[in-house]
Amino acid sequence: MDIQRPPPMKYCTKCVYPASSAVPLVFDENGVCSGCRVHDQNKKIDWKKRAEMLKNLVEQYRSKNKSNYDCIIPVSGGKDSYFQTWYVTNVLGLKPLLVTYDGNNYLDVGIRNRNRMREVFNVDHLVFGPNVELLKKLNKKCFKVMGDMNWHAHCGIYSYPVQIAVKLKIPLIIWGEHGYVDLGGMYSMNDMVEMTKKFRDEHACRGYDWQDMIDKDLGITEQDLLWTKYPTDEELEENEIRGIFIGFYTYWDANAHGKKMVEEYGFEISPEPFDRTYRRMSNLDDMHENGIHDYLKYIKFGYGRCSDHVCKDIRGGYLTRKEGIELVKKYDHVKPRDLQRWLKYVNMTEEEFDRIADTFRDPRVWWKNERGDWVKDNLWDDEQKSTNCTLKKDDS
Amino acid sequence: MLKKRLIPCLFLKNGLLVRSEKFTYHQVLGDPIHQVERINAWCADELIYVDISDDEYYDLRRDDLKVKCMKNIYSIISHVSKECFIPLTFGGNIRTVEDITQRLKYGADKILINTITHENPMFITESARIFGSQCIVVGIDIKINENEKYEVYSHHGKTATGKDPVEWAKEVEKLGAGEIFLNSIDLDGTARGYDINLIKSVAENVNIPVIACGGVGNFEHFVDGINKGNASAVAAGNIFNYTENSVIKAKRVMQKNGISIRSIIKIDDYSDDDSTKT
Repeated sequence: MDIQRPPPMKYCTKCVYPASSAVPLVFDENGVCSGCRVHDQNKKIDWKKRAEMLKNLVEQYRSKNKSNYDCIIPVSGGKDSYFQTWYVTNVLGLKPLLVTYDGNNYLDVGIRNRNRMREVFNVDHLVFGPNVELLKKLNKKCFKVMGDMNWHAHCGIYSYPVQIAVKLKIPLIIWGEHGYVDLGGMYSMNDMVEMTKKFRDEHACRGYDWQDMIDKDLGITEQDLLWTKYPTDEELEENEIRGIFIGFYTYWDANAHGKKMVEEYGFEISPEPFDRTYRRMSNLDDMHENGIHDYLKYIKFGYGRCSDHVCKDIRGGYLTRKEGIELVKKYDHVKPRDLQRWLKYVNMTEEEFDRIADTFRDPRVWWKNERGDWVKDNLWDDEQKSTNCTLKKDDS
Repeated sequence: MLKKRLIPCLFLKNGLLVRSEKFTYHQVLGDPIHQVERINAWCADELIYVDISDDEYYDLRRDDLKVKCMKNIYSIISHVSKECFIPLTFGGNIRTVEDITQRLKYGADKILINTITHENPMFITESARIFGSQCIVVGIDIKINENEKYEVYSHHGKTATGKDPVEWAKEVEKLGAGEIFLNSIDLDGTARGYDINLIKSVAENVNIPVIACGGVGNFEHFVDGINKGNASAVAAGNIFNYTENSVIKAKRVMQKNGISIRSIIKIDDYSDDDSTKT
């Protein structure tokens, strides 16, 4: 085999992220990743002041004569959606319009959660879903083009609510946490970053836009993709559209939020455990998100959703690094059972899937051993190294 | 009458654009191209693109994106200039006349030089003679030293030169620089606003344009840079990455404060179809 071993993988000394993380990291002189460093900023933030800032900010957007909604909340119906909606209605006292992109892969429990929001929060809710034939085509096409069948979801989630904001002239969009700041520390918590087309284009959609999806052979036309189009800069300016992340204004503790939503608002966690992670409260809006979609992340970058959850939980003080590594060892490599549903959904064989998936293995991560198997570095390869770096459980 | 200018800066480190803090900590913002497209669409007056990599290693770190990995700086400049219709100043790791020639060849309009000017001040004169002063922007990075005095630093802010900013600025003007790009290492990434005294003292002692950079935390700071600091142009890195249409919003704040700055002119793709319609 002529696939050479890349340089040894570097891991964060506090959490479990590898340098190959899909969310780009930098490591400081102590080997701590930017995600951990930015998470540490949370302790120094005056959250009362931030809450005050948010209150003042939303005042300018309250519908003057009550003729329109005060804001849009893009929701999937997950625990974060519940928290956002609770905060916006109960704490800020706004009248929101909830907007959901439905990519046709909801788990039953996810649909129940989504529908319950209208009941428990007394809110209006717009659910949009593209035609299923198109979704099947996009699933297959995007898996082949970028190794990610869920491009349609990333694009729909970050485009459709903004379209609605322009169409209904509701300038304020309230998003949840900024995923790239939360996971990878892309910005400082003091930057008060807002939603941009750049984030949608480059990060959510991997640089691919609707023009890349038009396909004569598959029969995908521009008219099939109306829902993917992000408004123009002029439309955003004219309507003074502004997308803020509530995670910069209130401390984001997903575990605590999830618990509160279960206890007070009837949010259901998954009755079934997932194949690829220990958390049962996340990603209920898409049966493949924690499954085969995430398995592809492992194929590409050598880590998966379990690592993401472990990093969050180590930073939040819910896990030690040692406990986290055990979980990663158990889950990250698992080929999940939802693959069979997806293969049937898009009409593909498992052989074809594996063959295409292998083309996405990152040479910075993977090489082939003498037997011809794909191998990579693991956190537990050097037990000495990992025990030395074990973090004490945070009592706070 | 010369208009004042608003200039976003992008910093490239080992193949990715970064957020900069005090010249030492650099969080990754993304690929080398996407933000260029946005700044171009927002019609900034110019773009300053600086390669702050310590070594000539460039990697996008993943291969599944539409933007593909570019392994050398010329490939990056070439892609950047294809997206950038506004004047493009390119800086970083420039040591020879050939380095300048190559960067201009791949699409840069002006060149920003810094470290080489300390090792060989006559490089300013030589490059200005060959390419014209209008092409040569000299970067001056300032830190307040242990004696509480302003001092010029080279090598990405790592090496003290013993030079005083005003004296050095006068010197580079004499040597043939077309513009000065004045950055504060202490204020970089702090969002506390420009070092107005520093900018003012340099701007009042040279006749060439001074571009102020370092510390912008809100759009009003640009107004201070012009009105209080007497800068010819105001620049910033991080802040333009934070919000949508940031350049347009910043220009609006400057205009509202009476600063004479070019209005937004939308850049459109010219196609023959359009020309027949009008």
